[in-house]
Amino acid sequence: MKEGLRFVRFFMVLSSISPLFILWAIRGPCISTNNCVISEQYFIIFCIFMFIIPNLFLGYRIFVAWKLNEKREIAVGRAEDHRDHLLVYLFTMLLPFYFADLSTWRSLSATLIALAFIIFLFWHLNLHYMNIIFAVFGYRVFTVYPPEENNLFSGRMAFVIITKRVNLFQGERLIVYRISNTVYLEENK
Amino acid sequence: MSEVKFNFDNIDLVEFGVVINEADEEKAILVPVDENVQNALKDMAKETLKLMKRYAQNRGGPTKYEPTEKYESSEYIYLSINDEKAGHIKQLHYAENLLLDGNILDKIKHNPSSIFCYFCRLRDKKGQRLTALRKASQFKGILKKRLLSIMTDALRLIDGPVFKLDNNFSILVDSSIIHILRPNEFEFLGKLKEAILASVSKNIEAIRNDIPFVDLDGLEKYAKAHPRAARYLASIKTNMQISGITKESLKRVCEEAGVKVYEEKDKIKVQKGYEMAFLEILDRRRYVIELIEGSPERFKADSRKKL
Repeated sequence: MKEGLRFVRFFMVLSSISPLFILWAIRGPCISTNNCVISEQYFIIFCIFMFIIPNLFLGYRIFVAWKLNEKREIAVGRAEDHRDHLLVYLFTMLLPFYFADLSTWRSLSATLIALAFIIFLFWHLNLHYMNIIFAVFGYRVFTVYPPEENNLFSGRMAFVIITKRVNLFQGERLIVYRISNTVYLEENK
Repeated sequence: MSEVKFNFDNIDLVEFGVVINEADEEKAILVPVDENVQNALKDMAKETLKLMKRYAQNRGGPTKYEPTEKYESSEYIYLSINDEKAGHIKQLHYAENLLLDGNILDKIKHNPSSIFCYFCRLRDKKGQRLTALRKASQFKGILKKRLLSIMTDALRLIDGPVFKLDNNFSILVDSSIIHILRPNEFEFLGKLKEAILASVSKNIEAIRNDIPFVDLDGLEKYAKAHPRAARYLASIKTNMQISGITKESLKRVCEEAGVKVYEEKDKIKVQKGYEMAFLEILDRRRYVIELIEGSPERFKADSRKKL
């Protein structure tokens, strides 16, 4: 099955990397030199834009799902807590990019292209659920696998559930809002 | 026979989906729908229940589904969800974590006949599930228009002649009963013909012990090639008392009803051409009335009710 909602997923990926732009805005475009190729003022405006717009979009998508009552039921077969994914994300993506040198056109281009690769991979591999913003609001991320059964129609796909629950148990049924076809948000519990 | 086990006044969740049949593979796919469509689906389910109650009232309650019975186009019958004939619909009712694809109708717009049926899954506040099904006919109209937008690919109710939901469903399924409003559609959606033909050998084995004096091998072969005979077998196995029939009583009834049988190696064999009639006897569908002395009249009952 194709994931669908490409536009939504793209903005969700931008939202997941948006904390990087806050770090860059605080740090400024250049680490060790004053001869920067981009003006600090424009750089900060760009960073703020890149933080606010994707997150506004994410918020709007959640609002639309709520407004249209786009809910479904998901049965839990097995659930895996993915707090480790956030740590990996933090150390492999945010911190290396934070230290990237943006002072020359060459280094700036290399950094932006590397960032484009990361965005593409997040989008392509459906990693758009990885977002510090969810953690900030007290949500946890679980991958939920379907119950093992021999039903002709049952789905075999795993889903990502963003929920405030601490644990998910086998046999539980969750009513969740659809953010994308693989990522679902549970109402506050 | 119990009421529909679902609280229609306390519905918590409405899901909508289609069953598509492509390259001999059947898939049930959820399609996101907005709240207006969800309300329309709820109304359809309520309307179905209302119609069922009306039919039940007019006919002294619903009757159990029998594969050999001739039904009106609309009447209220039921079948236990654990009945082997309910297999296909039971699977859809209990399916979990269905695939979801907001673009599915767009993808199959060039082959709308691949939509087998559409369905709606409702959940009440107690967590009880109700599945409602309808054969896809009017629904195919939606494929002519693209209803997607950037922010969501959920279908929306719109004005105009693009898409018309039916007024009601044909089948409601709760945790124990399949409630049927349109028997023909139930047979189509439940793939009854295929299921009954597939269970011929099993049904023959089930009745073999009760009437060991009948040679059933020829009947098995016949039933596998004749769906109507296969239906009789399913009905005999499920609904009719077979144990207690004696060789003599069976031979006598066959003779009275004009069904030609003969005995070979201590077993009753059915003469070629009389297989269907023999099964009709076992299913209590052939009878003789002798109102005028010496002039017995033979009849076949398409529909019958035990008094």
